[in-house]
Amino acid sequence: MSGGPQDVDLSRVWLGVAAQVWRREPGRAERLARWLLRSPGLARALVTTPSLLLGWVIATAVVLGAGMVATWGTGTPFVPLIAPALAAAGIAYAYGPGIDPAWELSRSLAVSDRMVLLVRGLAVFGLNAALGLAACAASGAVAAVTFGWLLPMTAACALALAVATVARSANAGVAAGLAGWAITVLAGRASAGQFTAVLTDSALVLPYLASTAFCGIVIVAATRLPKGTS
Amino acid sequence: MNVEISGLTRRFGRTWAVSGVDLAAGPGVFGLLGPNGAGKTSLLRMMATVIPPSGGTLRLLGRDPGGYGPRREIRRRLGYLPQSLGYYPGFTVTEFVEYFALLKDMPPAAVPAAVAAAVERVELGGRARAKLRTLSGGMLRRVGIAQAIVNEPELLLLDEPTAGLDPEQRVAFRALLRDLGQHATVVVSTHLVEDVGAACGQVALMDQGKIVFQGTPAELTARADGTTASGDAPLERGYSAVLAQSRG
Repeated sequence: MSGGPQDVDLSRVWLGVAAQVWRREPGRAERLARWLLRSPGLARALVTTPSLLLGWVIATAVVLGAGMVATWGTGTPFVPLIAPALAAAGIAYAYGPGIDPAWELSRSLAVSDRMVLLVRGLAVFGLNAALGLAACAASGAVAAVTFGWLLPMTAACALALAVATVARSANAGVAAGLAGWAITVLAGRASAGQFTAVLTDSALVLPYLASTAFCGIVIVAATRLPKGTS
Repeated sequence: MNVEISGLTRRFGRTWAVSGVDLAAGPGVFGLLGPNGAGKTSLLRMMATVIPPSGGTLRLLGRDPGGYGPRREIRRRLGYLPQSLGYYPGFTVTEFVEYFALLKDMPPAAVPAAVAAAVERVELGGRARAKLRTLSGGMLRRVGIAQAIVNEPELLLLDEPTAGLDPEQRVAFRALLRDLGQHATVVVSTHLVEDVGAACGQVALMDQGKIVFQGTPAELTARADGTTASGDAPLERGYSAVLAQSRG
């Protein structure tokens, strides 16, 4: 007697159907990221990163907008002053062990959590730079922060990620990014005499120190390991 | 042996969470018992390569996790369920499992089938498209188990896997454990003695950072013979007897 329907393994058939029904087709951005990063895992981490979520985009735009308004109103360059602290605190808040809900799991995965962080850092700075460029079109007031801080940081992050992707080492990427930053940005600033402006201009010293201290407190609090996990 | 541990230590500040553990485990289900604060979670986290040891030697799946390359290879073949599973509430069940499958470096073509199989194995097929924020604690625990087994790991580490599961789900989970243990090394950390009795072929009991007993559940039960150790079940009395002797 030939094989009939009773010979069909329905569980197996259902798994095949479920795999097709439940699968999430990657969008264009994810497919492009897969090709660029040579890692489907990193690509998925990038497109699901908070920096690509609407709430985060709105929050970023609000912070930059408020900074611009405050700068116009007072003449103090609040955005350049708080931008580094804000970026560091934002990343710590989003991805620190006490904050990222899946931090513990991400530490046990084949795709390094540092690579994921690099990808997300690039997404953060890339988006900020895009917002900054858009704001430049509306007003030249933010050109300094966009070209002096956001675009260089985006470039440094992109360099770090590129090296990390090629070398398959997040540490190598970070080293390359830092070196690139030091050579192209800090050296230029130092030669132009602007590097120490924040410390030599008495109007900037207190806000700078305050924002640095605040940033430090925020990072320590945000990255502290939850109780019971040590 | 998939797990080879010798003289393993882990210190947090002045506290020795793990102080000189020797352990070897091959395929099968291995239970890690002990009271709260015994060092089970710290030991499991070192085996999951989440934290490095302070001292001693650790070899997983025949490799030293201290090096980048071997560690990455171990992680590809590893499944881990932390004590408190963090999750992204906006993800669906399948999105969550798929996310970790990709980050485990699984070939993308194999991921959809693996995700479907893992979700069905934990009996969440009916909620596959549900957002995690809508699930109960027991369901979330099963999602965590699904992400741990999605890559068919050779080494599966489960920290309190039955927490939040109802009795029926626990029975089903123990059957799943026995099934997984036929091919992989499954290490289950728990303080629920009945889980160990029902599913584990080997058991180690930890107290104050040290392993104070290692053997079969039957051997642990036998340690209560001739003692006045307390407990509602034979295995619990063996557990209490060993702890009393070690603290003696």
